[in-house]
Amino acid sequence: MAAGLIAALTLGGAGAQSPDLLEPERAFSFSARPLDATTVEARFAIADGYYLYRDKLKLSLEPGALAAPPVLPPGKIKQDEFFGTVETYRGKVVVRVSLAAPAPGATLTVKAESQGCADKGVCYPPQVQKIALSLPPAGAGPGPVVEFAPAKKNWFK
Amino acid sequence: MSRRTALVVILVAGIAALSAGIYVGRSDREPSDGTQPGQAAATLLGLTLPDVAGKETSLAQWRGKLLVVNFWATWCAPCREEMPEFVRLQAEFGGKGLQFVGIALDDADKVGQFAAEIGLNYPALIGGYGAMELSKTLGNRLMALPFTVIVSRDGTIAHTQLGPLKGSQLRAMVGKLI
Repeated sequence: MAAGLIAALTLGGAGAQSPDLLEPERAFSFSARPLDATTVEARFAIADGYYLYRDKLKLSLEPGALAAPPVLPPGKIKQDEFFGTVETYRGKVVVRVSLAAPAPGATLTVKAESQGCADKGVCYPPQVQKIALSLPPAGAGPGPVVEFAPAKKNWFK
Repeated sequence: MSRRTALVVILVAGIAALSAGIYVGRSDREPSDGTQPGQAAATLLGLTLPDVAGKETSLAQWRGKLLVVNFWATWCAPCREEMPEFVRLQAEFGGKGLQFVGIALDDADKVGQFAAEIGLNYPALIGGYGAMELSKTLGNRLMALPFTVIVSRDGTIAHTQLGPLKGSQLRAMVGKLI
């Protein structure tokens, strides 16, 4: 009831309308974990009602030459009036990114470029997110998952 | 503590909580850098951006019109979907003082291509990151698209909308403000 009252009071001013939308870092949660001294597994957990465009997704490692361009899994195919065939991801997307040569113990930055929209009819601008992590020693198992943390914390969310 | 004192304490606490709640609600929609809405409107009207052909175009030339500024991009499907209705409204009310202006966060050639496809009858300007930052001061906290600002003839902001604008809703507002 208090929320309704507050809503009524705040919307009473010079008209403003905004759907309830997640911050892009919450709609598209980026995380990564090192699998071994060569390969990082990058993951986007996509909230219900949101989707990412496959052709706007780019993963890379800094520094370090990659063995090959990362393979992006197939997405859901849709026909778009303007762009023709369009592929999107919902739920989650997992991509393995491998260095050309093993770098045990190295500290790397995993960089993700992405662009997504909400079913509510809104699109976010292209996002660039970086995660720093360390590769495990030679022969060791996968390392822990590192979540992307936005620089600014918003108290009221 | 007497019952009356307790009631007064509860009342005061309630008002304080409500005020804090209102503050939280407002800050979500207020300009993020603390500028006044009037200042943001003035900044919008003072904007100069290139059109698709690269010609610098000033929004100040439309002072006194009922201005509908629509932030969009070709890579934003919901943005593209609402524009044919804007074209229809521009044709219908342009003579009465309605002026749509599109600000695209996009490449000029893609914008030009789409504009030709839908027979765009209002200016399509190219905005960069600065334009998106401006939209943030107008209330577009997430810098998402489409974002539409309606500026009354007197230069004040009548309405802002994040997300698609239904034709019927826009038509009603135009009818009232024109």
